[in-house]
Amino acid sequence: MRVTQSMLSSNMLRNLSNSYSKMGKLQNQIETGKKVTRPSDDPVVAMKGIGYRTELNNVEQFSRNIGEAYNWLDTTDDTLDKVNSALQRANELMVQASSDTTTSDDRKKIDGELQQLREHIQNLANTQVGNRYIFSGTKTTTPPYQNGVGYVTGSNPEESIDPSFEKSIEIEVFDGIMLKVNTTPIQLLNDIDKMFNDIGKDIKAGTTGADLSKYITTIDSNMNELLTTRADIGARQNRVELMDSRLQSQEIIATSRMSENEDIDYEKTITDFITQESIHTAALSMGSKIIKPTLVDFL
Amino acid sequence: MRSTFMGLEASKRGLYAQQSALYTTGHNISNANTEGYSRQRVNMSPSLGYPGIGLNNPKTAGFIGTGVEVSSVERIRDSFIDKQYRQETNKLGYWESRSNAVTQMEDILNEPSEYGLAKSLDQFWNSLQDLNVNPEDGGARAVVVQRAVAVADSFNYMYNSISQIKENTGAEIGILLKDANSVLQQIASINEQIQAVEPNGYMPNDLYDARDTLLDELSSYFPIETTNVPSGGNSLANAEGSVTVSIKINGDTIKLVDGKDFAQLRNSSSNTAEDGVTPTNMVTGLHIVKINSNGTETYLNNDWSIRGTKTVNDINDFSNLGKFKSLVESYGYSTDGTEDVTKESGLFPDMLNNLNKLAQAFATQFNEAHAEGSDINGKKGQVFFVNKSTELGTEVTAGNIYVSENLLKDPNLIAASDSPGEDLTAVPPITANPEPGNGKNALNLANFKTDTISALGDISVQTYFEGLIGQLGVDGQEASRMLYNTQSLQQAVTERRSSVSSVSLDEEMTNMITFQQAYNANARMITVIDETLEKIINGMGRVGL
Repeated sequence: MRVTQSMLSSNMLRNLSNSYSKMGKLQNQIETGKKVTRPSDDPVVAMKGIGYRTELNNVEQFSRNIGEAYNWLDTTDDTLDKVNSALQRANELMVQASSDTTTSDDRKKIDGELQQLREHIQNLANTQVGNRYIFSGTKTTTPPYQNGVGYVTGSNPEESIDPSFEKSIEIEVFDGIMLKVNTTPIQLLNDIDKMFNDIGKDIKAGTTGADLSKYITTIDSNMNELLTTRADIGARQNRVELMDSRLQSQEIIATSRMSENEDIDYEKTITDFITQESIHTAALSMGSKIIKPTLVDFL
Repeated sequence: MRSTFMGLEASKRGLYAQQSALYTTGHNISNANTEGYSRQRVNMSPSLGYPGIGLNNPKTAGFIGTGVEVSSVERIRDSFIDKQYRQETNKLGYWESRSNAVTQMEDILNEPSEYGLAKSLDQFWNSLQDLNVNPEDGGARAVVVQRAVAVADSFNYMYNSISQIKENTGAEIGILLKDANSVLQQIASINEQIQAVEPNGYMPNDLYDARDTLLDELSSYFPIETTNVPSGGNSLANAEGSVTVSIKINGDTIKLVDGKDFAQLRNSSSNTAEDGVTPTNMVTGLHIVKINSNGTETYLNNDWSIRGTKTVNDINDFSNLGKFKSLVESYGYSTDGTEDVTKESGLFPDMLNNLNKLAQAFATQFNEAHAEGSDINGKKGQVFFVNKSTELGTEVTAGNIYVSENLLKDPNLIAASDSPGEDLTAVPPITANPEPGNGKNALNLANFKTDTISALGDISVQTYFEGLIGQLGVDGQEASRMLYNTQSLQQAVTERRSSVSSVSLDEEMTNMITFQQAYNANARMITVIDETLEKIINGMGRVGL
């Protein structure tokens, strides 16, 4: 075959530009750390990449939701714990009050403390996380206890409680897994409030210790109910913790799967780059030797 | 009896012939880097011997050589390689342009990345999850609206950018056809010159080269076929003649250049179209016209017979590829040659349609889910995504999807709650019962990203978009692989062509020495004859002097 200068130079140019484009691609990969920068580099990787990104994004979002769930549950538990302490104190006081040795004056003093406890519990019922009332069901901007109204909404205190106040708030903690984060003890709080009210009335009316002692049972039953509620919260806290650790491992899995799919193997890519670079240098130096001389130089 | 000076004549011819060869070598060297130039060779042949044939010719023994003559100057070219070259160039033109179109689209869709539609959908989903967690929070609501705007913006951006490159591709089709028309005219004009020169026994090598370069250019646009027509007269046997250029359409060929006559291409069927070549709608096919001397155009039949109505040569019938076909396939064409818009197909129109379908399904589905819920004040959810110009939830496309003005002004209108919204017409009437802490509908809205939508063929928005990207990736991969393949093939043919036709300086230098030495030898020969004549003239008859 007849070989001419123009063939040599066009071949050299083509090979050099091929070599440049290979180096460009490797350089791009090293700089971005990704195997693909456009779908046509590898359609499967690109398509999977979108899916993995979404998955990772979901896991991150769920982790954020979990943080919020902790916040709700911990605050609720803590608040109900305080309600419990208040009830315990009320129990002690009632034991004292129901003793026949306690004078009616003492009982009034005890009632004073009891009414303070009542107010304390009313305040606890209006606990907020951020600017949300946690015991208001889905009516989170309305305080569950309002002065002069009590644990109800609307103008009529005798009206039954708005069902919205007992609606649950659920947070998604994993694909399709909903976790109830709020607790709706408004009925219980209402009962406790009523109980304190009744005790106050009875004490004012000078009821005997024996009669007052029935309230000890009432307090006990309320405490029991509170305990049940708290047990439920505890169980949910456990669930959140389990979910949290599951999400953490899920995040690692999702990240590594995404990385496996689209990240380069640096050792390999850099080695490839160096190989390509030396090929390029060799091509350049050979090219300059081949292209230059013609017979003209020797005549 | 031969002439005394016959030897001088023979050597003079030698001088002239070698000189011609030397000058042609110089011509070759000068054109070593000229695009499309093929090296030329001086064909030498011995001139007729002495004596000539005839009844009264002198009776001498045999023919005596009378030297050399230049029979022709020929370009070295292989027309079979030309044919192959044009076929490969045709394919290369197609894949180059297609790969370019797909690349542009990939740049616009920008996936996989942190900035594409998939990411803005993810972020929108995140904001709805956050809204579910904090439904009464004005900040979370504002974020949802802004993320929704970002989704709408992504749709708008993709739609507008792809429309823009579609327009650019249309302009490119116009430029390509203008260029092709100009090439056709130039080929016809070269044909005319060749027809004038060849009958006089000349070989217009450089005109051939110029014509072949034009044919190469034309072949990258669409598949062509050429036939040579001898010019007649005293043409040399190896003269190439004028060339008839035809475009190949579905096994049929349609003449574009015939000798000095040429047709012009139009993509529009109407004389009143702006320039006749830049499409404004989808391309229905090619039309050929004749330019009359007064500048008007007459539409022609495939056989160049004139007819009043316009002939359409369906783009689908293009048997081979070429840049024109690729541009038209990107820009959008009619699958049946009619102007029925539902028959439009093409890379860009398909993508735009798919995006529209996606945007529409997304908006409709989202609006439906949104209407199920109630806002922070217990009112029924309003239309969320609207057509920007009508502010209605109908006829939403990727180009006009936007967040409703009302929601932009007041994010509290987002129906995050799943409580029944106020409906005074229902029996019994539902009064507004705001549940600011209820975020269940926000969750429904969030989850609809992965819910299947029947309008998309029972797949989710996310999957549908992934499918679009996947398809685009496969198209792109095919285009770049085919581009690489055709490039290598074309390169191989180019190499073979160079091997035959291109100038080798080494060879020319060797030829230069050959011809120079031959020239010198001829000159020496003349000196020798001079000396022999000197002997005759000055040395004879001078016995004893």
